[in-house]
Amino acid sequence: MIDDELQDWTDKSLNDTATEEELLALEERLLRDEQARDHYLNAVNIHASLQQRFVVVEEPASVVSFLTVARRKFGMGLTIAAGLAVLIAVSSILLNPASPPAVIAQVVGAYGETETAYAVGETVESGPLVVSRGLMRLDFSNGTRVTLEGPARVELIDEMQMVLHHGVLTATIPEAAIGFVVDTISAHVVDLGTSFGVSVGENGQTEVCVFDGEVEVSSSKTSGVSKLTQLVREGEAVRTKVDSSVIDSVSYETAQFENALPVNYGVLQTTGSMRFVSPGPDFHPGNYKDNEHIVVFPEKRGFLSNESMRVDMIDPGEYEKSHYDEKPTLVPRRAMTSYLLQLDAYPEGENPNRRRSVIGQITFANPIVGVITEDRLLNQSEVIFGIPGADYPSARTIEPRPEGDEREGFDKLILTADRHSLILELRENPGHLDQVRVLVEAD
Amino acid sequence: MTYPTPQDSPRHEEFVSLYVRHEAALFSFVLTMVRHTADSEDVVQRASMTMWRSFNKYTPGTNFRAWAFQIAKNEALNHLTKIKRDRHVFGEKLLEMLAERGEERADDLDARRRALDFCIENLPAEVRGIVEGCYASGSTIRSFAEQAGETANKIYKRLNRVRAGLQKCVERRLGLEEAAQ
Repeated sequence: MIDDELQDWTDKSLNDTATEEELLALEERLLRDEQARDHYLNAVNIHASLQQRFVVVEEPASVVSFLTVARRKFGMGLTIAAGLAVLIAVSSILLNPASPPAVIAQVVGAYGETETAYAVGETVESGPLVVSRGLMRLDFSNGTRVTLEGPARVELIDEMQMVLHHGVLTATIPEAAIGFVVDTISAHVVDLGTSFGVSVGENGQTEVCVFDGEVEVSSSKTSGVSKLTQLVREGEAVRTKVDSSVIDSVSYETAQFENALPVNYGVLQTTGSMRFVSPGPDFHPGNYKDNEHIVVFPEKRGFLSNESMRVDMIDPGEYEKSHYDEKPTLVPRRAMTSYLLQLDAYPEGENPNRRRSVIGQITFANPIVGVITEDRLLNQSEVIFGIPGADYPSARTIEPRPEGDEREGFDKLILTADRHSLILELRENPGHLDQVRVLVEAD
Repeated sequence: MTYPTPQDSPRHEEFVSLYVRHEAALFSFVLTMVRHTADSEDVVQRASMTMWRSFNKYTPGTNFRAWAFQIAKNEALNHLTKIKRDRHVFGEKLLEMLAERGEERADDLDARRRALDFCIENLPAEVRGIVEGCYASGSTIRSFAEQAGETANKIYKRLNRVRAGLQKCVERRLGLEEAAQ
């Protein structure tokens, strides 16, 4: 929206009567508002044109005086030159960079500004991008993954830089793209090899939450001569505000990123009592305590194994116990990504003997190729897929109902027909750990 | 001062013809970043020299304007880095955004300047006098206001209104008014 304030600052900038405060206000507005930038460009364009038109040309005796000669020779004054400038082209033609910085890799009900649905595989050029609702993952050409949760407004600068005007994003950055930058109205976030979330509220307040690795956050507002910069490590969070150069440490709260973050890791959705847990040293399966949820830990990503391996399930259906020799053999054809699902029920408070059922569903972007749940197979696969240095507890059991058994109180594990989802109904059994390793086709 | 310049005259004429055609676009592009008129003129002039010196690196038939904008942008950034201790300049982030958008919209902005010519021709004589008075070289708004027996503030306000009116005229002319809403 072009309001009086913006018009006033722009006019003062053109007339050269703006105070420093007004210029700062104009700058902040232009940074976060693409429409305002276009308005500013239009105003300057008119101003520039008027200047050239009415200026009485006094060519300085400079080295480019050949231009004066040329103008005489070609019979061109500036305005005529401007008039000759372009064939009539009302619509702007975007200059196409060599390759688009990003591709839409995942879409979960994501719509654009005009309620048009985004589609997987669409390329995203540099420029503004709006997600009015839903979730959308962008894969940059350097391997960076950014998930946007609508309503969000961003601007892609190039494959190493983007601006978050409003909304929530989570970014997972590979080593090749260290230095990836997310700018907001109040913060400048530089990745140092990591996974992090950034949110920008209506008032420009920015929160940066680091799930893994570390990032450098500086305030957009300068304080004196030097910019304030702070290193933010995993498990830490900071907040910046538009009207302050202070970077506040705030408590590590991942709730606002819990929809977007899993998408970075190939998990489209978790429902029921299933909860995605960001990776990091504090969140290893062995030391993570949550007896309310089936928690999901991402493990090794894009791992290509040459060896075939025994798993508990390959085909869709309900999991049943079987002897080791009867278990299906997974022959990996493509790289796989591994996730560990865990229910760690521990005796609690007044009712240590309760036996609730915890139910949840998880849907992956790519097909599930194998499910592992028996202790022996979990141990074997840990060698390949486990997080290095993580403490994996033992023993783990899932107890499906034996055939013909009518009693209640068993675990249930279903791989859906489309191979994208896993449904779990796990019976709390204090002191017993339920774990399931899911192998999913990598991107 | 002498500069090593491509001496063959067809090349010279080619450069001049291209440069003159895009000079207005370059000035607008640079003014967006630099903001000050006189500084922008200096930047454009320095950029034009750089262009001429490195014209043998420009491949004929490719986008001259994009090439020229890149050189002008570097010149503008150099200039702004030098002066930023003395007065407020836009931060690098915004400058990049403006440069990129200016380049993206270069065709559109060209069309707007063409439309502006029509709109200026149709200004009432009195209004046109104000614009001329304010923009004529050597004249400052203050001196023009004094001459006209008005306060500078009042002249600024009238000028702002005139520019806003021209902006509207341009958009009408381009049929963009509806699309912009």
